[in-house]
Amino acid sequence: MRLTADERWNLIEEISNKVLTYGKFKHTLKDALGELTVKPLTGIPIAIVVLYGFWSVFSSFAGTLCTDGFFVKLFDGHFLPWIQSIFPGKGGWIYYIFVGDPVADNCFEAFGVLTSGLFVAIGVVLPAIFIFYLMMALLEDVGYMPRLAVLVDTIFHRIGLHGYAIIPSILALGCNVPAVTATRILETKKQRFIMMTLLAIFIPCGAQLGIMQEVIPESIGIVLLYLIFGYFLFGFILNKIVPGKSPEILIDVPPYQKPLWNNISRKLRMRLGGFLKIAVPFVLFGCAIVNILYLTGTIDWLAKTLTPLLTGWFGVPGETVGPLVAAFLRKDLAVAQLSVIEMSRYQMITSVVLVSIYFPCVATFVMLLKEGWKNLLGSLAVLITVIFFYGGLINVIWKLLGVQ
Amino acid sequence: MNEKIGRVYFGILGIITLIFGISDLIVTIGGNNFSWSILEISSDMFRGGWGGLIVISAGLFYLSSLKNFLEIHQLSRALMASMLIWILAGTDIFVKITESIPGGEEGPWFNSLEGFLGTYAPPYPPVIFLLPFSLIILFFLSKRKKA
Repeated sequence: MRLTADERWNLIEEISNKVLTYGKFKHTLKDALGELTVKPLTGIPIAIVVLYGFWSVFSSFAGTLCTDGFFVKLFDGHFLPWIQSIFPGKGGWIYYIFVGDPVADNCFEAFGVLTSGLFVAIGVVLPAIFIFYLMMALLEDVGYMPRLAVLVDTIFHRIGLHGYAIIPSILALGCNVPAVTATRILETKKQRFIMMTLLAIFIPCGAQLGIMQEVIPESIGIVLLYLIFGYFLFGFILNKIVPGKSPEILIDVPPYQKPLWNNISRKLRMRLGGFLKIAVPFVLFGCAIVNILYLTGTIDWLAKTLTPLLTGWFGVPGETVGPLVAAFLRKDLAVAQLSVIEMSRYQMITSVVLVSIYFPCVATFVMLLKEGWKNLLGSLAVLITVIFFYGGLINVIWKLLGVQ
Repeated sequence: MNEKIGRVYFGILGIITLIFGISDLIVTIGGNNFSWSILEISSDMFRGGWGGLIVISAGLFYLSSLKNFLEIHQLSRALMASMLIWILAGTDIFVKITESIPGGEEGPWFNSLEGFLGTYAPPYPPVIFLLPFSLIILFFLSKRKKA
């Protein structure tokens, strides 16, 4: 049986009259709260308090309670003297690789695989990653993330992205590896390229944040300010020069709901498992490689060769070569290494920003490669430009302020 | 009657919250902690600066909720203001908890009972004083639910 368009509409009306009941929509408290969180005037203060709470809980749980409260004491007071005394071959190269400096009195300075490596991975990074992912899962389950996406949509459009770019951006603050995968929620190749490049360069991972909170707590705000500014500056430039489309999207905003502990614990288990499998071996491996490079004199040679560039262009000491090499393996490890180099506060800020915007860690590198070698090469080209331009710019800013 | 009480109560609370928020910012700009009896305002950029902005927002949310107070959208503004205070005060309390458990650099693994309780002694930041007063919003919400 064939129906005309009018007959079809009539049939639709007839069916809908039978099955639909019309009533008056009544706003609930959840609806009203939901509206407040997406309107800029009220939504921005709410976003600020959420980020404030996030950071405050992150730093006090990971830094004050776990690392400073217990792990420093455990590693520096008990584990380090014990491993220094029982490990055979003091003074030999195996001892140097696994235990590090035999007279070091803390795990940051020892720099062996079993001392600094384990301390960084378990004592500093694990609590940071745990609390980060726990809070992230809570915000996701409550339903705040889509609202944040709506709120920041306009800002992200300026850099060729849309509101959902906040998801990989915040995930990258935990670890860049799942964040690179999360860029698939963006629609076009252009958007995915911009997002991957920005997060690989400008977003420090939770491990790095944890270490920064531990070694440069007084300067972390300035470092983050430089990174946020760079994120939007280079995002804006990339949006202008990268060909392709940045379409509008419709965001489905679910109602607020009580978090389900089953969901949260499952997410937490999955993400922590990923971290333990990927990041911890890289931290230990990174320590070993850097120690071998020191033992073979490669780092000294690189430091001598690159000193004119590092001191002249970036204004940081030549010794930062070691941490920059380590940064390719693990950025948290590199920041830990920077903390024992003698330099001014401003040189330290520049060095930490350099480590952040320097090559993505090898795990992220592999993920970028999985997303396509053209993307990877493009990201690397942007990255090299950013390092020289932005690193030099920071040095110029310090010189203009007369603080270098 | 409830509406009138609510307007007066949250009007006063809004003004006090706003004053506390502005004080937070002034102390932060001044650069020195302010202490008076059991009240302490931090000059730290994070706590005083960002925290101050949030307290000011909470004050403005309270004040903007006064007109037609029991209407759901207005009530949600007052609730949101209280939630801002709960998050700020909650994080302050959480910071105290994390400081109170470990025994310190040279001490034992866990804090002594005196040390533990001593961490919670005054002075307190302004949001801690605002916390109990902000909870009154729950009374208005329960009244509305019953109605």
